[in-house]
Amino acid sequence: MPYFLQSLLVALLFICGAGILIVPNRRLMTGLLAIQYIGVFLLVSVSWPLEIAVVKLVAGWMASAVLFLTYQNLPGTNSDGRMPLGLPGTLFKGFTAVLLGVSVFSLVPTALRWFLGATQQQVLGGLWLLGLGLLQLLLIRDSLRTIVGLLTVISGFEILYATLEASVLMTGLLAILNIGFAFLGAYLIMASNLEESS
Amino acid sequence: MNTPILWILLPILAAGISLFFLRYRYLLRWSGLGFGVILATSALLLPINEVFKFLFWDVKLSDQLLIFGRRFILSGADRPVVVLLLFLWAFWLLIMDPELVPMQFIPLSLLGIGLILTAYSVEPIFYGALFFAFLALVYVVLLSPPGKEPTPGVLRFLIFQILGMLFILFAAWLASWIDLNTGNQVMLARSLLILALGFSFLLSIFPFISWISMVGERNHPFLVGFVFNTYFLGVFLFGTRFILEGGWIGQGVNIQVPLQIAGAIMLGFGGFMAVYSKHLGRLMGAVIIAEIGRSLLAISLFQAGFPIYFGMVILQSISLGVWSLSLTQLQQGIHDLDFHSAAGAARLWPILTSGLLLGYFALAGVPLLGGFPIYWSLGSGLSFFPIWINSIFVLSTLGLIFGGLRLLEVLTKNISEESILILGKPYYRYLILGLNIVLILIGFLPQWIFSLTRSISGLLLGS
Repeated sequence: MPYFLQSLLVALLFICGAGILIVPNRRLMTGLLAIQYIGVFLLVSVSWPLEIAVVKLVAGWMASAVLFLTYQNLPGTNSDGRMPLGLPGTLFKGFTAVLLGVSVFSLVPTALRWFLGATQQQVLGGLWLLGLGLLQLLLIRDSLRTIVGLLTVISGFEILYATLEASVLMTGLLAILNIGFAFLGAYLIMASNLEESS
Repeated sequence: MNTPILWILLPILAAGISLFFLRYRYLLRWSGLGFGVILATSALLLPINEVFKFLFWDVKLSDQLLIFGRRFILSGADRPVVVLLLFLWAFWLLIMDPELVPMQFIPLSLLGIGLILTAYSVEPIFYGALFFAFLALVYVVLLSPPGKEPTPGVLRFLIFQILGMLFILFAAWLASWIDLNTGNQVMLARSLLILALGFSFLLSIFPFISWISMVGERNHPFLVGFVFNTYFLGVFLFGTRFILEGGWIGQGVNIQVPLQIAGAIMLGFGGFMAVYSKHLGRLMGAVIIAEIGRSLLAISLFQAGFPIYFGMVILQSISLGVWSLSLTQLQQGIHDLDFHSAAGAARLWPILTSGLLLGYFALAGVPLLGGFPIYWSLGSGLSFFPIWINSIFVLSTLGLIFGGLRLLEVLTKNISEESILILGKPYYRYLILGLNIVLILIGFLPQWIFSLTRSISGLLLGS
């Protein structure tokens, strides 16, 4: 894949990761998550055959679809699934995302010594997603956003790990884990509305 | 037929099927108990890799299963682990009250045991970290029963376990790279550091301990007891196998000192927390933190410490079981689990509170109870090591005992209501009394436990 295209993909990943952190609208957040998986798939395909890399895309889209359909059909929620967030909160999150982006960018030369088979863009994309996912986990307590944060962290890890190992079982297990997260998120969103079992 | 199918896939399948029968509470509970006992007995008795007669057929039970080029192995040497985990599950089913515990406990706990065994048996062993991520997913669902909001502690538990998995996978990759470049001390140090971070997340070692008390305070006491009991046991078993099979000791790395530092810190925190806890759930969290510390200290003694560690596992299971059972029953009579609400409970429900007190004091290490001889052996083993470890060990034990005395003072407080009330079914009250007697008997006859745990560790380390 050309250098320029990889750079565009990394930029897309940063925009998606930061967008997931900032946007108050859950529908938009899930949309960004789905787009993020396209970037993950394409960056993984630099190291892996396309037919194996596509597993990441399928699993990611399935996860996004499960989350989207769950809160879309949840009784008693407002139509756009918006979470209350003021302008200062949004600005703060945006600022921390930019700060993290710059810090990670400066760390890439060091990180490249750890990931010998990886391109600069793969390392940057992976680390950005890891960082933005962790930021999401640090700043938000909502269960849905926690799950999305974990999916973002794992996406970043998957990009980096794909440059190290290409095991079919590992790919399959990570894909199941992604979908498992989505189902867990769906369960956690609905748990309080379900009938008590005892 | 092979052992992974029999002791891993079959329980996972049974867990899946039992999800369809959740409304039949007692049927599910007793059939599950029977299933657990049969499986555990089969793990105890069936010969592995030998032909034996089963009814009319000649059967050979192979010890491995191959999936996508990765092996899952449960050999004769792993028998004690399989038996221990399956009997543990049966024990929790025996003491569960189907009226008070969410019914998804039965399938999800069985699935959890299956996943722990999967993580323990997979080769290469670092794949086990992934199965612990699955286990975390299952336990999050278990701790968030329908009708309840997921608590912040549960979400934090999930986050820490997933981060732990990522660090372990990465460390394992780094370690495999060292094999090709023998003698690269920088890479070895890096991978050890990342591995330590991964296991710190998994074992909730300081500073990742916050979720334990949060979960203890806000979640169902029975479910919390089970999760604490099995999750940490699973991580310790996985960690031990990881260290032994990964050749980490063979690389000339001294892991004894880090284990002892981590153990002392955890034990210190546990003892400190017990002194200040004013909530029954948080007190359980404090004891668990201390137990993680003691387990790390026991494992740091290597061969001499493994029998002590398994003794602690048996004691912890019984104590946590009786504590969780008593707390679950007591919750019917008190609206909250803080000390204020529990004041005077021993005057109203003496049997239930006796379970709380004996379960707690056994884990604290009070003389004449089950914990004392086991922790005494641990202390004797540690006496060859620096004085600060021994000081923390003694001070933390005193802290735990002090916490227990405060609990005793709260439970026996005079609240002007003197009549003894009946709470829960007689079966559970007898069970609490029976488990109390077991805890006292272990204190008087520790040689029974030690002879058992010596053979367990002999089998495991001989593998």
